[in-house]
Amino acid sequence: MKALDLKLIRDVGRMKGQMVAVGLVMACGLAMMIMARSLILSLETTRAAYYERNRFADVFCDLKRAPNSLRDRLAAIPGVAAVETRVVGAVRMDLPGLAEPADGTIISIPEDRPMRLNTLFLRTGRYPEIGKANEVVVSEAFAKAHGFQPGDSIEVILRGAKERLKIVGIALSPEYVFEARPGQALPDSKRFGVFWMNERELATANDLDGAFNNVVVDVAPGGETAPVMAELDRLLEPYGGLIAYDRSDHASAKQLDDEIAMLNGMSIAFPVVFLSIATFMTSAVLARVIRLQREQIAQLKAFGYSSGQVGMHYLKFALVIVTIGLLAGGVAGAWLGTNVVEMYHKFFQFPSLTFHPDFVAIGVAFLVSSAASLLGVVGAVRQAMRLPPAEAMRPEPPADFKPSLLERMGVTNLAGPSMRMALRNIERRPWQAAFTALGLALAVGIPIVPGAMRDGINFLLDFQWTLAQRQDVTVTLIEPGSASAFNDIRHLPGVIHAEEFRSVPARLRFGHHSHRLAVTGVPAGTLLNRALDAHGNPLPVPPDGLLISEKLAEMLGAKPGDSLVMEVQEGRRPSREVPIHGLITDYAGLSAYMDIDALRRLMQEGPTVSGAHLSVDAGQSGAFLDKIKEVPRIANLGIKSALQQSFRRTITESITLIQSIYFTFSVIVAFGVVYNSARISLSERSRDLATLRVVGFTNREVAGVMISELVMLTIAAILPGLWIGGQLSNFIVQAASTETIRLPLILTHETYATAIMIVLLSAGVSFYVVSRRIRNLDLLGVLKASE
Amino acid sequence: MKTPSNGVGREPLFVGRGLTKVYAAGETEVRALDGVDVDLCAGELIVLLGPSGSGKSTLLNNLGGLDVPTAGTLTYRGRDLTHADEQELTLFRRNAVGFVFQFYNLIPSLTARENVALITEIAPDPMTPEEALELVELGDRMDHFPSQLSGGQQQRVAIARAIAKRPEVLLCDEPTGALDVKTGITVLEAIEKVNIDLGTLTVIITHNAVMTEMADRVIHLMDGKISKVTNNPTRRPVRSLQW
Repeated sequence: MKALDLKLIRDVGRMKGQMVAVGLVMACGLAMMIMARSLILSLETTRAAYYERNRFADVFCDLKRAPNSLRDRLAAIPGVAAVETRVVGAVRMDLPGLAEPADGTIISIPEDRPMRLNTLFLRTGRYPEIGKANEVVVSEAFAKAHGFQPGDSIEVILRGAKERLKIVGIALSPEYVFEARPGQALPDSKRFGVFWMNERELATANDLDGAFNNVVVDVAPGGETAPVMAELDRLLEPYGGLIAYDRSDHASAKQLDDEIAMLNGMSIAFPVVFLSIATFMTSAVLARVIRLQREQIAQLKAFGYSSGQVGMHYLKFALVIVTIGLLAGGVAGAWLGTNVVEMYHKFFQFPSLTFHPDFVAIGVAFLVSSAASLLGVVGAVRQAMRLPPAEAMRPEPPADFKPSLLERMGVTNLAGPSMRMALRNIERRPWQAAFTALGLALAVGIPIVPGAMRDGINFLLDFQWTLAQRQDVTVTLIEPGSASAFNDIRHLPGVIHAEEFRSVPARLRFGHHSHRLAVTGVPAGTLLNRALDAHGNPLPVPPDGLLISEKLAEMLGAKPGDSLVMEVQEGRRPSREVPIHGLITDYAGLSAYMDIDALRRLMQEGPTVSGAHLSVDAGQSGAFLDKIKEVPRIANLGIKSALQQSFRRTITESITLIQSIYFTFSVIVAFGVVYNSARISLSERSRDLATLRVVGFTNREVAGVMISELVMLTIAAILPGLWIGGQLSNFIVQAASTETIRLPLILTHETYATAIMIVLLSAGVSFYVVSRRIRNLDLLGVLKASE
Repeated sequence: MKTPSNGVGREPLFVGRGLTKVYAAGETEVRALDGVDVDLCAGELIVLLGPSGSGKSTLLNNLGGLDVPTAGTLTYRGRDLTHADEQELTLFRRNAVGFVFQFYNLIPSLTARENVALITEIAPDPMTPEEALELVELGDRMDHFPSQLSGGQQQRVAIARAIAKRPEVLLCDEPTGALDVKTGITVLEAIEKVNIDLGTLTVIITHNAVMTEMADRVIHLMDGKISKVTNNPTRRPVRSLQW
């Protein structure tokens, strides 16, 4: 090994604490980048392979009923590679160990032809035998949640009739990667499952013999989905076809897209922030090394080493830091990624989802962080290269100082010399101070994010489930029913209050923006499912016109007063211009409400209901549940307490993981920044500090002098840090805001206080660690050596 | 060998007996001080003379409470310094000793006045920074930062800083070592003035034999031992010294 490299190794060994501190801050950014990029790679490759192998369709459309003979005409649409017509229905189940009924979607398996699209990945068991009744395949998540195995049987209500089904296989489907009840933000595998059954049997049960009510289409490679969807709409219109949609509107596919988009944002935002701080820290460390090694540089040059060789030698210091950062970041990123993949197993169902480290990303991370730190140290290194040997041999002249701005402004009675030294030091190196403060501000800001998320979720749950949706149970009918259906429900035991609703699928259009959703008609003066304004006050449903979610208005680019074209996709498919009367504040799903009578007039129908919101006496909920399980025609049952419970269970673990990541990062940044600054200050000023010790200052007093500057910077960093935390939280909340769930930005004193505490504690520990080094100051050395 | 006092018959401030300091240097030992007996009295001006490694600095460090002897006893006004702990030594330095270093060791971010104030703020009975700076004839440079002062001026600020607390002892380790002759003389004049005006026991380490003439006593050290003590019946004023 070359002597210069030996020097590098020994020098690095002497300053390993600092190298590690800077390396770890860098590692935080790299870990996030490597984790996010690797997760994207894992999700994207797994998804691509799964979609490809199991032929996930490109276009989807529901309809009322079309004869199977239409299939060939659909297949002949230009651009269509394959068509699958299916029967899709709803099931309800009364499962042991579950007070409330569970529900699911049941999909047909063709018997007279191979399954062409959305084919199943059979985990265990087999497909139902052709022609054999009562055999089903169930989705893996649901089977796992209940411990079902092939051979078990399960009692279900299929279209009002009780049936005993035998589970013959357990499978996954590319259309249920995100397996949740339509419109729900999180999966609840205990209460929602997917079933597959022989086509003939399912068709018979749904009065669809020789017919289908769902079609999925594979568009030829390179083809456009829009013309196919338009043609599909035209052909299916006479059959009660709803508007066709593609993957971008597919509930499961969209969830995956949203997740990947969020990871993409994270993989850029976090590394940029952390690497900037780390770059600055590297630059400060190297500038100091070069200042301290002035004479060594001169000697090397005097011996005949070229400026380039000297420059390269010091650049290697930066590379050591990058290497530490990359190693730690790579390991942490892989560890985090593995944990997040574990978490994903709760949300996304793939035949196999494993963590694939993205080596390209690791390479990019190395290049980016090397480039960043080299950029940071280039100034200091150039200074070393330019130093003429003769000059470098002489000690540096005393640093140039002047009275600080405050003093020049006339504030002369500053609290003593420590404070004055600190202020003048800060002013002499404003960039160093600014970046140190920025690093500390960042450390204050980081832990605010999980706090804001936690509070946002609590606010959301409270807002949605206490203020807006005051019903205990929401009942949805399989098909719109008459007044008598509502009466039956209203008179179930324990029902205190019932409110009917009418829900129709529609496309709301404004200019060239449009969105599909259910428009819900509610009675005037509703008490249960309420539309609220931003302050949580109920908005009265106008006699004519719509109340729509703020998010929907934003997506459509519309505002109150504008008129939307409402194209109903059911019945006679009326299309009408409807004004927006007001905007609803809500945080989950998209809603559009109108007066129930107005909606019925528009639909040209009588007192039709789609379901009811119920308030149920808690004391009689057992009796209520027993009875309602017997009621046919119910598609599903939303029980608020069960939803809340499931939501909290699913989210708590994830939040805990996220919180610990953010807290760890914050501690690393706070500790690292303070430790590094304190060490630099200690080494740059060791002579001053040792002099103070010699003339009679105690260790504690000297420590006070040394840290006063950092204490000032730490305190100065708190307010901007809180602001940064707010902005960071806002960024994350916005990035995570989707149609299904939107977190409000809730920043509480508690969150702020926790963030400040974390930083003050880490800074305090850091101060303590460095202060201990004051004891080791070389008191005798200062009397002799000049620098 | 016992060093007699200068015939002034004053009470000695420091009494050292058999002072020995042994440093471990790798596998061998270095005896930096080897059984030195020394009495130093109030108001005396002592010059420690000797080649590199003779033990001058070690003796000065022991006197200044920066280090303790390995063997022997050292008392200051009857107080044992040999067994003093870190805190006692810090207090001793804070209250009794003024240091002047070869490279001035001023805090660059503080002005001349503030460098002195740094000490006067922790001393029990200090003079004002202004008085101290006037004493070294720097009354007109009080608000200058070290970078705005010449080497000699910086060293005089250091002397002002050392004497502002009215120490009983002023220890100077090669105070003119980094200065040219002319500037060196102005610095020595300041030290001489402090010694005469304030009656401060002053110990100066030097390589420069010329400086011996300004002393009451010259202690010659060689290989950790006192090789010779010279008493000057009359001190020569610094102004008249010839390099």
